[in-house]
Amino acid sequence: MKRNLALLAVAAALTATPAAAQQTTLNVVTAGDQNMVDYVKDFLAPRFEKGNPKATVRAVGTGPGDAGSQKIAEKLQAQKGNPAWDVDVAVIHQKMAGDLVREGLLAPYVKDVATGKLVTSESSKNALGTNVTGYVIPMFQSQTAIAWNPALVKAPPKDYDELAAWAKANPRKFGYNGIKGGMSGVAFVVGWVYANTPDSERLMKGPYDASTKAKWDGALGKLKEFNRNVVITPGNAGTLDMLNRGEIAMGPVWVDMFYTWMADGKLPPSMRLQLIGPGMPGQPMYYVIPAKAANMAAAKKFVEMATSPEVQAEGIVKKFNWYPGIDAQHVKAKLDDKTWNKLFVDVTPKDLAAKGKTFPIKQYFDDILESYERRVLN
Amino acid sequence: MQDRGRLGVVLVAPALAAVLVLFVYPLGYSLATAFEAKGGGFTFGNFAKAFEFYSVDIGFTLVIIGLSTLLIALASIAIGGYLTLGENPRAVALLRWLYRWPLFIPFVVAAQCMRSFLAKNGLMNNTFVALGILEVDQTTGFLDWRGIVITFVWKQTPFVALLAAGAMASLDRSTIEAARNLGASRLRILFEILVPQIMPTLVVGLILSFVTMMSVLSVPLMISGESPTMMTVDMAFRINNYGDYGTANALGFISYLLTAACAWVYLKRQVRQ
Repeated sequence: MKRNLALLAVAAALTATPAAAQQTTLNVVTAGDQNMVDYVKDFLAPRFEKGNPKATVRAVGTGPGDAGSQKIAEKLQAQKGNPAWDVDVAVIHQKMAGDLVREGLLAPYVKDVATGKLVTSESSKNALGTNVTGYVIPMFQSQTAIAWNPALVKAPPKDYDELAAWAKANPRKFGYNGIKGGMSGVAFVVGWVYANTPDSERLMKGPYDASTKAKWDGALGKLKEFNRNVVITPGNAGTLDMLNRGEIAMGPVWVDMFYTWMADGKLPPSMRLQLIGPGMPGQPMYYVIPAKAANMAAAKKFVEMATSPEVQAEGIVKKFNWYPGIDAQHVKAKLDDKTWNKLFVDVTPKDLAAKGKTFPIKQYFDDILESYERRVLN
Repeated sequence: MQDRGRLGVVLVAPALAAVLVLFVYPLGYSLATAFEAKGGGFTFGNFAKAFEFYSVDIGFTLVIIGLSTLLIALASIAIGGYLTLGENPRAVALLRWLYRWPLFIPFVVAAQCMRSFLAKNGLMNNTFVALGILEVDQTTGFLDWRGIVITFVWKQTPFVALLAAGAMASLDRSTIEAARNLGASRLRILFEILVPQIMPTLVVGLILSFVTMMSVLSVPLMISGESPTMMTVDMAFRINNYGDYGTANALGFISYLLTAACAWVYLKRQVRQ
């Protein structure tokens, strides 16, 4: 009797399975700040569920910065032996994308997605030195620049040298968040190394040579000197807070954060941006699909929707002030001029092309941070 | 008899398993990783790196937390003392009601509040300027090591004060009355009669505070971006930016030794008594 019951239960479970399989839950795991989770949860999920009534999107955030991507990577590494993984779509930073491709944890899905053809940027092929062609579609491109307060600064510096001179003449009026408090500070330091060392191209493109860092002592010594005259702020938001309160007159920020804070009334509308030469880094975030995602087909559909020109225009550019992840010409057609131009008032497309750099390849990136710890902090 | 013994094992098993799985295993794992080289194998390299890069930060952490602990001790003695010896019942009631508030506020919220309160043009300085106490150009921000100390003291004092005030309240009041009858001042009663008697409780509270503060990441991260910084920030940085658990665990091991030393001093004292 007992056995019959058990058989019955198994039979019931088997017949129930197809029905349950039709109702899929798509796990979209995103690194980054809360706004990334909100974007998936409030903007993308309802759209996707409308077009796919049998799917539910579950948005999960893993926290800001590279640490968030690190958590996603650790989760995938831990599931490596399982037949199906519980992450269907992940949004990760550039630094981790290369590692995941090398470890074979991502699916080469771009060829199966219609919007894959709209992607042209360099960052869709190369993630800090690793070839990621076919594995990633940029969700957006983000850029750092120097924010400045016209009430306190007459003319903003045009490059790192002018900035250093300005900071010397105006002690404690420039602020940045060092390297331990967020990526805008890291970007500023990377830009400084690019500006003050001879082979910045090599840092971005490789090949890696462990002896290169020995040539940075002069640049970092100068940075240590520079740091004496500036304020070290607590975090990306700390820099914006201090700008807002008028405690500093200038500081490096993420362009999208800058515009979002301004739209929320947390920064005066008079604040301006300047992308200084020879250049400051920016980075994309990528949509990736793990190699053994449980809902592969739905995941591809989701990314296709998220990278369509309409969604990139409405969500990425208009709502969140990011630069589009797919080729800008497809997105521009979907937007009115006013919205489009707002994004390019201070940082023109020409500036972006000339001075929007990438972060260095991973080994050099680590070397820069560690050399900063060694030479500037100690 | 054997059955009772077995029952005892069954009863203690869930708790023991929880301690083993959730505490002993992760602790052992992190201690072991501190001595593990990147490719595997035993090494002291992580410690060499921790000291090379972060010896200043280790010292800084001890100074900041030591100073905070000292200030917490003084503030709790003052609060406990006034609650026990205060003569104005309204002031005592007000203080009793007010001092516990920070106890219920998490560190991260405290840090967020202090971040806008202590800034150069923050709430505190703006209030001083509005009251005419300071001029705008005289203000300074406290978002550096001072801000960390202020936040720690603000957040941890109620906890220690709660223990100290409780211990003071349960003392035999006749000694206080006797001292008062002989003309001792309240300050003298506090430091010569109350504090010596509640010392064991006070020290327990301070050690618990010390250990708690050693583990806080949000406060140093949110209040001050400056260098030197506290060990917790370095550990987070090591993991987040380099994926380097080895050095982070070595730093964790060092901070574990520091707290263990602190506990050892206390235990030795207890045994002597």
